[in-house]
Amino acid sequence: MGVTELLSQYGDKYIQALFTTWKLTALAFAIAFVIGVLVTVMRVSPLKPLRVVGDIYVHIFRNIPGASLLIILVYALPYLNVVWSYFTCVLIAVSLIPAAFCSEYLMAGINTIDIGQIEAARSIGMTFTQVISKVVIPQALRASVLPLTNLLVATMLTTALASQVPLNPRDLTGLVAHINTHAVGGITAFVISAALYCATAVVIGQIGNRIDRKVRILR
Amino acid sequence: MEKQSKPNTPEQTPVIELRHVDKHYGQLHVLKDINLSVKKGEVVVIIGPSGSGKSTLCRTINRMETINSGEILIDGTAIPQEGKELARLRAQVGMVFQSFNLFAHKTILDNVTLGPTDVLHVPKKEAREEAIKLLKRVGVDTQAAKLPAQLSGGQQQRVAIARSLAMHPKAILFDEPTSALDPEMIGEVLDVMTELAKEGMTMVVVTHEMNFARRVADRVIFMDGGAIIEENTPEEFFTHPNTQRAQDFLNSIKNH
Amino acid sequence: MSNAHVSVRDALYEAPGPKTRRRTAIGTGIALAAIAFLAVGVVRQFYITGQLDSKYWSIFTKSTTWKFLGQGIAGTLEVALTAGVITFGLGFLLMLGRISDSKVVRGIATALVEFTRGVPTLLFLYFFFLVVPQFGLTLPSFWKITLPVAISACGVVAEVFRSGVKAVPKGQREAALSIGMSKSHVFLKVVFPQAIRYVIPALLSELVIVVKDTTFAYVVTFPDLMQNAKVLISNYDALLSVYLVVAVIYILINYLLNRASDFAARRRNRTLMAAQQNGNKGV
Repeated sequence: MGVTELLSQYGDKYIQALFTTWKLTALAFAIAFVIGVLVTVMRVSPLKPLRVVGDIYVHIFRNIPGASLLIILVYALPYLNVVWSYFTCVLIAVSLIPAAFCSEYLMAGINTIDIGQIEAARSIGMTFTQVISKVVIPQALRASVLPLTNLLVATMLTTALASQVPLNPRDLTGLVAHINTHAVGGITAFVISAALYCATAVVIGQIGNRIDRKVRILR
Repeated sequence: MEKQSKPNTPEQTPVIELRHVDKHYGQLHVLKDINLSVKKGEVVVIIGPSGSGKSTLCRTINRMETINSGEILIDGTAIPQEGKELARLRAQVGMVFQSFNLFAHKTILDNVTLGPTDVLHVPKKEAREEAIKLLKRVGVDTQAAKLPAQLSGGQQQRVAIARSLAMHPKAILFDEPTSALDPEMIGEVLDVMTELAKEGMTMVVVTHEMNFARRVADRVIFMDGGAIIEENTPEEFFTHPNTQRAQDFLNSIKNH
Repeated sequence: MSNAHVSVRDALYEAPGPKTRRRTAIGTGIALAAIAFLAVGVVRQFYITGQLDSKYWSIFTKSTTWKFLGQGIAGTLEVALTAGVITFGLGFLLMLGRISDSKVVRGIATALVEFTRGVPTLLFLYFFFLVVPQFGLTLPSFWKITLPVAISACGVVAEVFRSGVKAVPKGQREAALSIGMSKSHVFLKVVFPQAIRYVIPALLSELVIVVKDTTFAYVVTFPDLMQNAKVLISNYDALLSVYLVVAVIYILINYLLNRASDFAARRRNRTLMAAQQNGNKGV
C-alpha cells in the first residue's frame, strides 16, 4: 500500500493515534512526576518506615516489566474486585513505572548538592524548610532536567503498552498492529508511526536540552 | 530545656562563652572540658596540629556540631538545641567555611542578599544596596552578576565573608578560611579579615596562618588532643610559649 | 573531608534535639500504623475474594510448576542474552559510525541511533511479527522477539559506548599513536578496552531493559516466562497468584542485574580513584 492510499484511508486514525499517544504520555508523565516527588519525599524523610516503603516502591517498579504490570492490572485485579477501564489500567501502568525512575533521578539530583552549602544555609539562620526550599530543591531540580527529559521520552515509549489492550482510539503502535492485521499495510504503516514517535522524541529532547542549558549549575 | 542565664550588662557579657564543653565521637574524646570566652571586639585565633579538635570546637559554637555536655552561650543566651530558636541564634553568628560553600545556583549578589531577605526579612531593594556595598568592601563588586563557579577561590571566599557580614552578626567564626586556597589568593582573604578585625568585629579564627595570628590576634588558643593546652597573647605565645607542647608545635611548623 | 561518607539524605537533618526526637518517634509510630493498616487492607481484600485459598498457592509447592516456570525463565534468558549480544554488536557498529571521520557515515549513524532510541520495542516487534512476513520472510518466533528487542536497545548501547570512548584520556591515544601504532589498532587495542571498563555498569543497566522487553514474547508465542505463565494459568485456573509470582521473578532478576551494575560501578570508581591518585604522584 502506498503512502497516499494509506493516508487517505487511515489519515484520521493516525492523527487520533498520535493524540492518544501524546495524551497518554503527558498524563502519565504528570502522574509519574507527582508520585516520583512523593516517593522521593518519603525516601529522604527522617522516618525510617517511610524511607523503607519508598525504597521498596522504587525497587519494585523500576524492575517490573511493563507487560507484566499491565497484565496484572487488567486481568488479575478483577479477581480482587478491583475493575478499571482499559485506559485507566494502561495509564496506571505507564505512570507507576516512570515514577520509580523519576524518584531515582530526583535522588541523584539531591545527591549532587554539596553538603557544605546546606551547612552554610544553616549558618545564616535558615530554618529546615528554608534550607530545603531555597537550596536543596532548586539545585536538585536543575540537576534533574536532562534525566527527566529522557524519562519523558521513555514514558512515551512505554505508552506503546496501550497496544496490548483494546482502546478506542488506538495509540500509534496499536494502530500499526490494527492496520497490518486487517489490511496489508506493509512497511509504510510502520514507518509513519515510527516517524511520529521519533519526531516527538526529538522535539522533547531539543526542549529539554534548551532548558538544561539555561538552568544548569556551573561547578 | 536548657536553663537561660541571667542577662548581664553588655560590657560584662562575653559574646561567646563555652563552659566545660565535652564532645565524644564514639570512643574518641574530641573536645575535653573546653572553657573559652570571647569578649566583644576580640579576635581569638585557634591553632594546633590537625586532629587537635580546633575545627570541631569552632563548629560547636553555632551548633554545626553537637556537644555531649557543657554549655555554649551567645551573648549570654544558651544556644538552643533545635528549631526556629536555633536558626534565630545562628543568624547572629556568622560562619566562613574552608570550602566557601557559596550557593552554586545563585549569583554572587543573591548569595549575599539571601540571608537578609529570607531570614531577616529586609526589603529586597535595601538588601541589594547593602550587598553591593559589602561586595565593594571585600573587592568583588564587579562580579556581582556572576555565578560562584565563575570566580576564583579567593574571590569566592571574600563573597562568603560578605554573605556573613550582611547578617550583621555579633561575631564571625572562621573555620580554616584559607586552607583550600592557592597560595597567591591567601593574602587577599587575610587582608579582608585583618580589615574586619581593625573595625572591631568579634572573630574566632581557626587557621594555620601563623603570621596572621601574630599580627591580628588579641589572644591565641593552642589546642592539642581535644584540649586547650595554652591561652596566651600572640607576642608571648610565639616568642616563649608556656608549654612544651606549644613549643614543639611551633618548632615543627618552623622546620617545614 | 569528614563529611564525605555522609549521604545527602542524612545531611539534610541536623543532630536532633529533644523536641525533634519526640516528633520523629511519634511520626515513626504513625507511619508504621498507616503501613500496617494498608497491608491489612490488601490482605483482607485477598481474603474476602477467596484469593488466599490454598488451591491458588499450593501449585507453587509442586516441582512440576517450578520446572515449567524454570523452562520459561530459561527461554527468557535465552532471548535476553542473545538480544544482549546482538545489541552490543549493533551498538558497537553504530558507535564506530558516530565517531567516524566521514560526515556521511556520522549522519547515517546518528539518524539510526535517534531512530532506534525514539521507537518503542513493541512497534519493532509488530514490524517483525506482521510486516516482515508480508515480504514472504517467516522467521522463527525466537527471532521475532529477539531481533526487535536487540534493535530497540542498540541506539542506547551505541551512545553508552561512545560516552566510554570519550571518557578515555586523550593522552592514552596520543601515547599509542606516538609509538607508531595505526589508528584502528590504537582504537581496538588501547581506547576501546578502556572504554568498556568505564561503561560496564551502564551496559548491565541496559540488560535490565532488554529483560523487560523480552516479556513481549507472548505476542509471538515464544515460550518465555510470561508465555509459560499463561499456560500454567489455563491449566490450574490460578491467574492472580501465577501472575504475581511471575512479576516477583522478573523483579528479582532485574534487581540482581541492577545490583551487579551498582557493584561494577563501585569497583570502577575505586580503580579510577586509585588510578588518579597514582597519576597525581607524577609518574
